[in-house]
Amino acid sequence: MINWNKLRKRLGGGALNVITLIAVLLFLFPYLFMVTSAFKSRQETFAYPPVWIFRPTLEHFRSILADLDIMFYMKNSTIVAVASTLLTMLIAIPATYSFARYKFPFKEPIAYGFLFLQMVPGISMVFSLFYIARRLQLYDTYLFLVVCYLLWNVPYAIWMLRGFIEAIPVALEESAMVDGCSRFRAFLLITLPLMAGGLAATAILIFIGVWNEFALAFFLTSTQSRTMPTTIAFFMTHAGIKWGPMFATATLGTLPVVVFALLVRKYFISALTFGAVKG
Amino acid sequence: MPGALLTYRLPNVPIQDMKMRGFLSRSQRSKVVPYVLIVPAFAVVFVLAVFSVFWLIRMSLVQWTFGVEWQEAAWVGLDNFQWLLFSEHSTFRDSVGLTTVYVAGTLIPELVIGFGLALLLNRQIIGRSVYTAILIIPIVVMPSMVGLVWRLYFSYDGLVNFFVETFFGVKPNWYGAELALPAVMLVDIWEWTPFFVLILLAGLQALPREPYDAALVDGASNWQLFRHITLPLMAPLVLTATILRFMDILRIFAVIFVMFGGGPGDATTTLPIYIYKATLVARNVGRGSAVSVMLIIIIVTLTFLLVRLLERAKFEM
Repeated sequence: MINWNKLRKRLGGGALNVITLIAVLLFLFPYLFMVTSAFKSRQETFAYPPVWIFRPTLEHFRSILADLDIMFYMKNSTIVAVASTLLTMLIAIPATYSFARYKFPFKEPIAYGFLFLQMVPGISMVFSLFYIARRLQLYDTYLFLVVCYLLWNVPYAIWMLRGFIEAIPVALEESAMVDGCSRFRAFLLITLPLMAGGLAATAILIFIGVWNEFALAFFLTSTQSRTMPTTIAFFMTHAGIKWGPMFATATLGTLPVVVFALLVRKYFISALTFGAVKG
Repeated sequence: MPGALLTYRLPNVPIQDMKMRGFLSRSQRSKVVPYVLIVPAFAVVFVLAVFSVFWLIRMSLVQWTFGVEWQEAAWVGLDNFQWLLFSEHSTFRDSVGLTTVYVAGTLIPELVIGFGLALLLNRQIIGRSVYTAILIIPIVVMPSMVGLVWRLYFSYDGLVNFFVETFFGVKPNWYGAELALPAVMLVDIWEWTPFFVLILLAGLQALPREPYDAALVDGASNWQLFRHITLPLMAPLVLTATILRFMDILRIFAVIFVMFGGGPGDATTTLPIYIYKATLVARNVGRGSAVSVMLIIIIVTLTFLLVRLLERAKFEM
């Protein structure tokens, strides 16, 4: 005897699994195709229908390392991203502590002021920042780019971290203070270690955001402090787009962030969710 | 707050607690400390913001060509705004319409597909952690590179047309005025549907087990479970994720800029692209700044209203 009900259920479940697999692969495929294209020769990149099996070449990577000096832009990106992330955390942590643990007049209006600033689109500020940079003779410097990113990242960090600090009972700090700790030491020794996950999540999202940022970097840098996302300008020449080197650069520029995000995916997802749950 | 210092009264506490540190007593310090802690953030963020917003508003009130000295700029008052909003030659209103289409045409599919995929992944399924790892990738890849890569994929002999031709037998021209906007919208959907999947999946996995058990005892169907338990419980999270994404879509610049630069014609000129085109292509800094000011006003107003809506929704739940 065949148990039709059970069979139908099993086949239905199997079909859903296949749909899930295909859907997820659809999201992976464009990226995978990009990475593999970096190893294709020029003719293979333009082949129609696309070539699936080919002999990989490192020609484009050699070209961007030698002709374009791509490591210079990787270095710029690293300096800007690390500096902004560290400075953001350094400035945001005390401010967040104040919002989370103290009561003072105009607290919520100030907090919402930060939130609204964070919502301002970069492109709408970039040309006035451009003129300010010119006026201060800071155009095309790491310093100005890093400071500009603070404008968005500090409010973002405050809103992320506030939830993490508030989730830790204030009683823990108070009992340490009864034992003779100063407020600062109590925070440093009790609260900070407990919110390490939240700190990591916030820092990761900020680092990725700065690493990928385009509009500000594109209009506020030129030769000295140009970052990876804006190197696309080199490939858009009058003779058309140099696709091979472009794919190689895209692979090189995205791989660190992808690997990084995958290594810490638990924090990454919790950061996305936390921001959402809190609103 | 200087007022806090003036109203200071001697606290009724034992002598040993009144030990002075520096020049402020403990109680005075506790009033000053919260402000001292936010001073660095306040200084960096608000000083720069106030400067650049002030400068932006000034630029929006003049007639000024890009590349010309500031001394040459002529004061025109609100003329730039008036021209953008009311002139028959202005394409600003078209851009607002286009932005609305872009927002609706990306947000709704992202939410629907995202929720669907989150439900699929919420079943007993092998390799869920691999799936969620894969779904992180589109979110973290550089938008500028994403735009350039998809530009090739959407070319006439590109990857997209290979699949379109295989399944539908036609090869559309994605670079044309009709399909350019759907093309950039598809890229946005590819990039950001995973955002909804990851957030909603985390929400689904945190749902309580009991209501489902109770409903199953009463013989509820899968659809009834979804309609009467999952959906109401997920509503606040769905709303939050949608609002977060909505705010971000209004600011999308890199992908559209790199893919089509707002073209062909004005076919993909959303408001952020409009700012770039007015300022650097038409070299009209005054007009570009006026659009920037209006975009900021639109976004801040919407943020304010949506945060209020969200708080009310959470309150009623």
